[in-house]
Amino acid sequence: MLSSVMAALHWPSHSRKKMSLKSERRGIHVDQSELLCKKGCGYYGNPAWQGFCSKCWREEYQKARQKQIQEDWELAERLQREEEEAFASSQSSQGAQSLTFSKFEEKKTNEKTRKVTTVKKFFSASSRVGSKKAEIQEAKAPSPSINRQTSIETDRVSKEFIEFLKTFHKTGQEIYKQTKMFLETMHYKRDLSIEEQSECTQDFYQSVAEKMQTRGKVPPEKVEKIMDQIEKYIMTRLYKYVFCPETTDDEKKDLAIQKRIRALHWVTPQMLCVPVNEEIPEVSDMVVKAITDIIEMDSKRVPRDKLACITRCSKHIFNAIKITKNEPASADDFLPTLIYIVLKGNPPRLQSNIQYITRFCNPSRLMTGEDGYYFTNLCCAVAFIEKLDAQSLNLSQEDFDRYMSGQTSPRKQEPESWSPDACLGVKQMYKNLDLLSQLNERQERIMSEAKKLEKDLIDWTDGIAKEVQDIVEKYPLEIKPATQPLAAIDSENVENDKLPPPLQPQVYAG
Amino acid sequence: MAAAGGGASLLVQGGAAREGCVGKTSLVLHYCENKFNDKHITTLQASFLTKKLNIDGKRVNLAIWDTAGQERFHALGPIYYRDSNGAILVYDITDEDSFQKVKNWVKELRKMLGNEICLCIVGNKIDLEKERHVSIQEAESYAESVGAKHYHTSAKQNKGIEELFLDLCKRMIETAQMDERAKGNGSSQPGAARRSIQIIDDEPPAQSGGGGCCSSG
Repeated sequence: MLSSVMAALHWPSHSRKKMSLKSERRGIHVDQSELLCKKGCGYYGNPAWQGFCSKCWREEYQKARQKQIQEDWELAERLQREEEEAFASSQSSQGAQSLTFSKFEEKKTNEKTRKVTTVKKFFSASSRVGSKKAEIQEAKAPSPSINRQTSIETDRVSKEFIEFLKTFHKTGQEIYKQTKMFLETMHYKRDLSIEEQSECTQDFYQSVAEKMQTRGKVPPEKVEKIMDQIEKYIMTRLYKYVFCPETTDDEKKDLAIQKRIRALHWVTPQMLCVPVNEEIPEVSDMVVKAITDIIEMDSKRVPRDKLACITRCSKHIFNAIKITKNEPASADDFLPTLIYIVLKGNPPRLQSNIQYITRFCNPSRLMTGEDGYYFTNLCCAVAFIEKLDAQSLNLSQEDFDRYMSGQTSPRKQEPESWSPDACLGVKQMYKNLDLLSQLNERQERIMSEAKKLEKDLIDWTDGIAKEVQDIVEKYPLEIKPATQPLAAIDSENVENDKLPPPLQPQVYAG
Repeated sequence: MAAAGGGASLLVQGGAAREGCVGKTSLVLHYCENKFNDKHITTLQASFLTKKLNIDGKRVNLAIWDTAGQERFHALGPIYYRDSNGAILVYDITDEDSFQKVKNWVKELRKMLGNEICLCIVGNKIDLEKERHVSIQEAESYAESVGAKHYHTSAKQNKGIEELFLDLCKRMIETAQMDERAKGNGSSQPGAARRSIQIIDDEPPAQSGGGGCCSSG
């Protein structure tokens, strides 16, 4: 719930009036005044902000969040305390539910009366435990993770974790206790080398899984689910301290591989024998998606989520190969394509991510599953890029050196076929240039044809004039004087009497 | 759910110079998909496949990893095979060169992993017996000399594939059990547990016909 609210908060304030109007109108007719902020500040409210305007909501939200954090701890503490009463935890879940529910209720009544609600009333009515008490408890608890900077994600994850464990009753409490203990020990081990911290985490994974199977009698598929949740919970917390730690040279390696990939910008798919034809729009779409996924890996905190990014990337690669080749991709196709994707994407902090996953991922996932296979391939791709030389691209040493030093690029040598990995804009530009030059050519042709036409026309008129002249000369026009007077028609018909009798003009006397 | 039953990872390595040459991909696909005709194969990819087996009442999850066979990727081998229990090395019986490449792989795998890994050398394309360039005797005696088993298969005619995988699985289980016994059974080191194959006895014998269902393909 919190995260969706967060997203809504980013809505630019100048457009809030418009948005609320729009969303309200979709439903039944609402009175204009109901659209206003519940706090009565004069701005429009929004259902996404529980009827407040964005500014008022931000104030409300800050307080609500504090409250929730406290409630979370309340919940966690209670879980720990009530070890014997396994089912008593349902009480606290009611508490959590009542919080959201009463909020809802409150909103409803607010809408009815359209009263200006104060911040305090809005939230304190719903909470069981006074905020003072929670504050005291928070201050008392010596747990190191409380001192953490409370980020929204961490809060959400711990809440989910607690909720998840509730479904396992006693085993869930046991797990929660162990996880807390582990996090505390990890806090004191922060100064140790990263390898030792990794070892601790791996031991923890194994012991928890074993305990669940032997003591808790949890079925294997559930163990896996719980392990995933545990990993998510602890790694969200530890991430800050164990990802790319200062004690290692991870960062140096990151920069080295980044520089290396940049230096290899000239590598074409042909050199790697990548069985992917990016001319096909669907394929280039898949390639873009694969690159996005591999870049996204860096933004995840949990090793498993990072692995999921690699897996998604791999699936897109397989799709691209399948569309191009129309047969299932083997490793012979997959690895070169993955290398190509890594070269094109240049994912941020690649080495750190790989190291982090290796050190802190639940080993059972890394060793056996599909994710593990793709991860291994990514490791291979990175190893290949690091060691890549002229031979591995089927180039001569001289060519390789020249490309590496940036003296020439393979693209410039054959401008006729620019590589498809040039960016889309450049490609389009080349296409347009091509079209323009074609157009120019045609224009010229039209001009010359037009000139020819003009000349032809002139020639033709000249020719005609000449011909006419010739004819005129040949047959000069002579106007002869009329030999027979036109009046002859009207003259007396001389041969009337020769006509047959019916046509003989009657002659009237007189 | 997949990994929980107990797993063995298997590596398929082609001794191929050119891709798709020895037919390792179709070999694996035929095994996992049980299809005669290439046109019927629906999988998106053939580089990572799994197969659930039931061998003598023991559930085994077989994860089959295809590795890139091109020469330029040879150096990456160790990254793939360091955690595998078995390897299938495929050559083309009509291509002497591919057999030489298999020999290289065997040498490397034995050097790096010793006897922990079960090796299978597979002469594929026996449907092209007429064009055979690698003698049966040479191949089999070589396999014996390096402690590997030799098989003949035809992915095209779906011959010998089932036997190959089933046999290899049995051997992998044996090796793993011997390993366990040698380690004193029970007090497994965390590092070792990550590597070795785990087998859990199947509770009801209802699945015992499982082997048959696989071989029916």
